[in-house]
Amino acid sequence: MKLYKALAITAAGSLFIGVAQAETYKIGITQNNVGVDSYQTTYEQAFIEAAEANPDVEVVVMDAGGDVARQIQQMEDLIQQNVDAIIIWPTNGQAVIPAVRKAAQEDIPVIVTNSNIAEEGFDFVASFSGPDNITQGRRSAEIMCEKFTEMGIEDEAQIVQITGQPGYTTAIERAQGFEERLPEVCPEVTLMETQPGDWNREKSQTVMEAFLVKYDDIDGVYAGDDNMGVGALNAARAAGRDGIIFVGATNFAVGYEAMERGEYWGSIYQSPVDDAEAALQTAIDVLNGEDVPFLNYFDTPKITQDNMDEFSKPVF
Amino acid sequence: MADTATNPVSLKRAGNFLARQGILVAFVIFMVGFALANDRFLDMDNVLGVIRSSTILGVMALGVTFVVISGNLDLSVGSMMSFATIVVLDLHDKIGPELAIPLMFVMTMSLGALIGFLVGYLKLNSLIVTLGMLSAIHGLTLTYSGGKNIDIADKEGTWFSILGQGSALGIPIPILIFLGLAALLSILLTKMPFGRKVYAVGGNGTAATFSGIRRARTVFCCYLISSFCVATAGLIQASRSMGSQNTVGQGMELEVLAAIILGGASLMGGSGTVFKTVIGVLILGFIQNGLLLIGLEFYVQYIVTWIIIILAVWLDIAAKRGRLWSPIA
Repeated sequence: MKLYKALAITAAGSLFIGVAQAETYKIGITQNNVGVDSYQTTYEQAFIEAAEANPDVEVVVMDAGGDVARQIQQMEDLIQQNVDAIIIWPTNGQAVIPAVRKAAQEDIPVIVTNSNIAEEGFDFVASFSGPDNITQGRRSAEIMCEKFTEMGIEDEAQIVQITGQPGYTTAIERAQGFEERLPEVCPEVTLMETQPGDWNREKSQTVMEAFLVKYDDIDGVYAGDDNMGVGALNAARAAGRDGIIFVGATNFAVGYEAMERGEYWGSIYQSPVDDAEAALQTAIDVLNGEDVPFLNYFDTPKITQDNMDEFSKPVF
Repeated sequence: MADTATNPVSLKRAGNFLARQGILVAFVIFMVGFALANDRFLDMDNVLGVIRSSTILGVMALGVTFVVISGNLDLSVGSMMSFATIVVLDLHDKIGPELAIPLMFVMTMSLGALIGFLVGYLKLNSLIVTLGMLSAIHGLTLTYSGGKNIDIADKEGTWFSILGQGSALGIPIPILIFLGLAALLSILLTKMPFGRKVYAVGGNGTAATFSGIRRARTVFCCYLISSFCVATAGLIQASRSMGSQNTVGQGMELEVLAAIILGGASLMGGSGTVFKTVIGVLILGFIQNGLLLIGLEFYVQYIVTWIIIILAVWLDIAAKRGRLWSPIA
């Protein structure tokens, strides 16, 4: 623990960026768990690059390593350093609220990035910058329905859903958006069963194997992200079940490649670079006293085999 | 006349068998239960599918069984498996599978050797050492990969996928690797002097030392076997998905221990067999699959899984003492 703290402090110290100038904003960020996946790694790089490109900001970059206690400590460190604004990528939507409240009481605006904190904490947050997961789920439902209509099976198609880790807001919201929108656009399509794949490709593959045994006729699979979508695709390929329409979210490089091969139909394009830049911009806008919406979403468009050449391959 | 004479004997034999193999009885009961609940549960495809997806956990559990019998723990196997998977995938594209596989084994087994040295020769507490290694190796993996997912670029043009996805004689290769390794390690544990030393060291370390067994070396070898199995599991994992997150093995150390304890090995050391571990692994795999096929709400699955594990352990103990309940342990 001591070692971690020492590391965090050294890391923070070495990451002071920008020139000391009267007009610069000093913005601190405490991230969830950099390095645990490519999205978060790319996010951090993009955030630092965006900050370097902007002469008016100086950033203090910290990472909680997935540990709530460490994140709360980092929030307190940032308050001590008297930064102008704090960006937080919550390790836990509930547990960080007291720390967020403390910052708000010190008149330091807090911007939540990527995944929102629980509703009780909204009073202490200046703005949330991130993807709109409910809209993402709704768009995935539309992608799937449009494809079924094109194939002429919108009256009979049967699908299964593989969600992210139970209890995670992102997982819950995507499933909610999908389940709400699907009956609106394709009322005849049946969602036969939903099981969690825990954001894990191997777990998702195992779940899909059981679905394939259980159901003789599966026309579509909606997965909470591409990692799980590709796991499900692998299971279908191994079982020799062709013609299943796979739709995911958070387009990963593996999903993009599977789309290139024509095996995976579509996903939602969510760029960690956009995510990081939006967070920094939201913080600057708040500090400039601009009118920022409380839920400041950045756009996450639909990507399918038809329009994928408009998008570059994700780096993660 | 002959009947009355042989019956008690064969009954007693059956009783003895049950007492020794209580966990096997529990396994059969669950299988029948799930088969009644879903008519596809016993389909050959499903059974092979479950065994195949249990092999990664299974191969790891084989190695850890040695460590547990020798009276130690290994909590590092989950993150070590992530390490092996990431390394072999990364090296595959850099130096080709022929070199990547042996190099990955060397790297993974050096970690095992390090743990074996610390626990065996320096006599450090295995819980502390391997718990520390759990996060240290995770850090090592992340440093190696820079946190990125590693994917094999050309997934179609390599024979590497055979190990995880191919099959021979209608049986998936991972199952063949798992069973082959289980047979080999079972012989090592029961028929070779080394195996007796492992039991002796775990049963009573001091007595083993006075009997002239080199305790440190035995413990060291157990960790080496464990890391060899972990490397094999990582290889199957990598070949199965041809790409991986850095956290692929996260949390598996506890599932591995659950399977081994379910099999009836004692965490105090000195008891356990490879065969029972295999049964423990299969029980966990079939519970997960059976609950999925029944289509139980997934939040409930966590609870039901726990209940089934407790039932299995209870049946095992009850069979050993010959009654379902006993006032004196």
